[in-house]
Amino acid sequence: MDYVLTVLLPQLLHGLVFGAALGLLALGLTVIFGLLGVMNFAHGELYMLGAYAGIAVIGVAHSFWVALIAAPILVGLVAAVTEMTTLRPIYRREPLYGLILTFGLALVFREGARQIWGGDMRRVLPPFTGSTPLLGMTYPNYRLFLLAASSLILFALWLFFTRTRAGVVVRAAVQDAEMLDGLGVDVRRVFTLTFAASGALAALAGLLLAPIFTVYPQMGVEMILLAFIVVILGGMGSMGGSVVAAFIIGVAQSLFSLWMNPQRVAIAIFGIMIVVLIVRPRGLFGREGVLE
Amino acid sequence: MSVLGWRALLVFALLAALPLVPGMSRYYLLLAFDALLFGAIAMSLDLLMGYTGLVSFGHAAFYGLGAYATAILMERGVQSVWACVGFAVVVVGLYALVVSYFATARRGIYFALLTLIFAEVVYTFFRYTQTFGGSDGIQGLPDATVLPGLVIDTPTRKYYLVLAYLLIAYAICRVVVASHFGRVLVAIRENEDRARFLGYNVPRYKMGACMISALLTGVGGAIYPMRSAFATPDLMLWTESGEFIISVMIGGLGTLVGPIIGGAFFTILRDKVSSIVDWYFIVIGGVLIVIVLFMPRGLLGLRRIFSRRAAA
Amino acid sequence: MRRTTWLVVLAALTVTGGAMTAPALSQSKVVKIGDLGSKVGVFEGYGKYQTMFMQMAVEELNAKGGVLGHKIEMISEDDETKPAPAVRKAEKLILQDDVKLLVGAVSSGATMAVMDVTKKHKTIHWNAVSCAEFMRTTKFHKYYFSNQPDSRMQANGLAKYIVDKMGKKVYIFYTDYAMGQSDGRQFKTALEKIGGEIVGVAGAPLDTKDFSPWFGAINQANPDVLFLAFAGTDSLRLMTQLHSFGMTKKYKLAGIDCFLLQQDLPAIAEPMEGFVQLAHYSAYNPDKQMAAFNERFKKKFGVDGNIMAGAYDGVLFWAAAAEKAKTFDADKVEAALEGMCVDNTHIGRQCIRKEDHQVVMDMHLYQVKGGKNLPIARLEGKDTIGSPMVGKDPVEGFTWEIKKKN
Repeated sequence: MDYVLTVLLPQLLHGLVFGAALGLLALGLTVIFGLLGVMNFAHGELYMLGAYAGIAVIGVAHSFWVALIAAPILVGLVAAVTEMTTLRPIYRREPLYGLILTFGLALVFREGARQIWGGDMRRVLPPFTGSTPLLGMTYPNYRLFLLAASSLILFALWLFFTRTRAGVVVRAAVQDAEMLDGLGVDVRRVFTLTFAASGALAALAGLLLAPIFTVYPQMGVEMILLAFIVVILGGMGSMGGSVVAAFIIGVAQSLFSLWMNPQRVAIAIFGIMIVVLIVRPRGLFGREGVLE
Repeated sequence: MSVLGWRALLVFALLAALPLVPGMSRYYLLLAFDALLFGAIAMSLDLLMGYTGLVSFGHAAFYGLGAYATAILMERGVQSVWACVGFAVVVVGLYALVVSYFATARRGIYFALLTLIFAEVVYTFFRYTQTFGGSDGIQGLPDATVLPGLVIDTPTRKYYLVLAYLLIAYAICRVVVASHFGRVLVAIRENEDRARFLGYNVPRYKMGACMISALLTGVGGAIYPMRSAFATPDLMLWTESGEFIISVMIGGLGTLVGPIIGGAFFTILRDKVSSIVDWYFIVIGGVLIVIVLFMPRGLLGLRRIFSRRAAA
Repeated sequence: MRRTTWLVVLAALTVTGGAMTAPALSQSKVVKIGDLGSKVGVFEGYGKYQTMFMQMAVEELNAKGGVLGHKIEMISEDDETKPAPAVRKAEKLILQDDVKLLVGAVSSGATMAVMDVTKKHKTIHWNAVSCAEFMRTTKFHKYYFSNQPDSRMQANGLAKYIVDKMGKKVYIFYTDYAMGQSDGRQFKTALEKIGGEIVGVAGAPLDTKDFSPWFGAINQANPDVLFLAFAGTDSLRLMTQLHSFGMTKKYKLAGIDCFLLQQDLPAIAEPMEGFVQLAHYSAYNPDKQMAAFNERFKKKFGVDGNIMAGAYDGVLFWAAAAEKAKTFDADKVEAALEGMCVDNTHIGRQCIRKEDHQVVMDMHLYQVKGGKNLPIARLEGKDTIGSPMVGKDPVEGFTWEIKKKN
């Protein structure tokens, strides 16, 4: 019992915090995948740009909270422009081209950020400090806030997708864009807005995580592989699946690292992935047939 | 040799004459080695991507495993090129058998992801296994020998080694593409279900293509330590696989020759630009974007522009 | 159609061939040196400062007329922090640019791969920051020199201070790749030798995002001192997270010299308060020689210097040896370098030990106070350097297992 309280539960909490963060990142990725059939390699860079935009806004407005609103808007605009100028012309081509294109975009964004803000690491101070005694630890309040905020955002998105007309339109576009086009919806606008929103979500994740993970130009490239794994595990194009998978991966990583060396943890996670892909390739919640 | 045609032979002859160019520095021969090796691997990948329609995101594992096969033998005193390549074929072959068995049962993005994750497992294994040097890999390898007395020690000899490999790999790819087997692959790419209805055992054909591509890549990996004297886990990183794919796209999908040019172009561009500016990733990223947007057929697509002009 | 394919191939060949044979202009009276390191990526801070310190040495030498009447020209290359590009760039510097001295690389893996190139092509190779223990032992070759205190040197000096002044129970937390493993191993060996107790060991993968899953084990082991072997962005992230969990106040902190560069400290001053490390240089050391050196550096670049200053010495030693040998010939310069002493390095007079080509560096223990590395004790180079072990395996018989003390 003591073991559960002082070892397992704290570890579970670490995993949940990381999983929530990962969920924010993976959600945008999976929506874009469903919509465009493209694994957006530049998603990690939008996440990174969010953190830098946040630093820039904090520099001017001196408020983390203002930045939390402004940075996603700024990055959303960047994403919208990117979508209109580069992705839109290639929608009718094979998904492979989208992959290569976003790979190129990722390089340009990353290096662009390095040229603008320099390659040094930056720290973003959390808007509040202090900690709460919890499970035998002093747990940082900001991490608890992060868990709450991410969960809240994910819940809000769930409401959006299920309860609003706009959400239904996006979901319909994910399922079958051509059909939607036939119904007279301006699909191009849906695509652009969705891409912008997905970028804004990534940016939000970037800034929310900045006080914990620090900020530097390569921060996105290191997260993206993990986000991919989450998307696959959850079922590509499945939003709920991504969120569940993010929590699973976060908690699994955290718990495994109690008992195993880091390499075994990595191999265990990949092992799970291989089994999932072989036994149930559409992932935990993916729809059958569409993408197989 | 008839499979190659006189034009290909001419190009190979010109390539073979490269070390004879007056003023050719040893460094450029080594850079040419890297460029041609990268090109040859892109070409091997093209067999899968361009002809069979399967995008592998795990070719770095075949490449890296080949390199480790050589390094492991050389570290134990075996220096023969043939032994190393043979061992690489066995090791890569066994691994490719497993990967291609599971991966070719899936299509599209799932194939890409399965190959990627299998490759990550191999990467993680070598990255952390101290017997094989962990993150440092195996370093300080001796020169390889082709025959007793013929040591691959100078840049010129290394260059001819990779050229021989490229020639053989190219010939194999040409033969495969021109064969009945190759035509079935194209049929699968165009319409997998139709190929199945026609009575072809589609998974077996896909697996065959995957194996050929993997083995050619593995042999390419096997000769890399003969030039660099090391094998490290970085060779298996997923970004490396990404660069192979990029090379194929730059050169032109489904052309064999295109990816060779693409791989060489990518290697040289990166090497040259990074010596001049420190924002070379913007240049490389920009090239990729331009190619996707404006020349989807890659560098080889340029030929259409030229031929149209010639016709006009 | 097919003909045009081959036209494209031929055109490509001609262009590359043309680019390749562009004649290297042979300017008289110029000697080149190479600067190889991470200029882009998570270790770029180290690489950028290496370039700056080398540039400073080059300009000072050129102002005095260069070396053997030759003006020194420095060529910088990025190694992408990976062995394969590092080797190619090293070959480019040696075979194409004909550099007579190669300084680099930053990461241990890349440096060791480059050592094979400098060995093969007989080029003087100076390592100013990589600290894996294999370089002056199993990987050693006669053209290799270093003034970076490697893991073994740092561990020898630091372990004693920790046991004497900070506490006997130590937890080792390291980054699980070449550098961190090497530092962790050597530190464990050194600490156990002098009677300290290792209460726990853990490795986290490179680029770990969230270190908190490891914190439980650290707290359970309840050490006096937390020894940290990380570098670059990992260090910054780890300190931020340790601090938020209140662990920077709970434990005494010690670590390796390249944990964070001086430039990174102000941003993370509070978490880093009290952190002890062993290093050869700090911009805030009141030592006359160091202060004067930092003054010159600051005047030139507008920032404080850091431990990458070792790269400055590399150029200085090589130039002095070339003057002494009256040639740039690698074998003769190498012979001149063995046992050589130079008076005006960044920390004053220093000498190279003949056996393993290691500079016998006098170092200081530094403690971070208010974001500055301030010296707290001085250690003689001969007390930390350890016996020469060329060709011997420095990790023979080592195990990560913890010997339980009764």
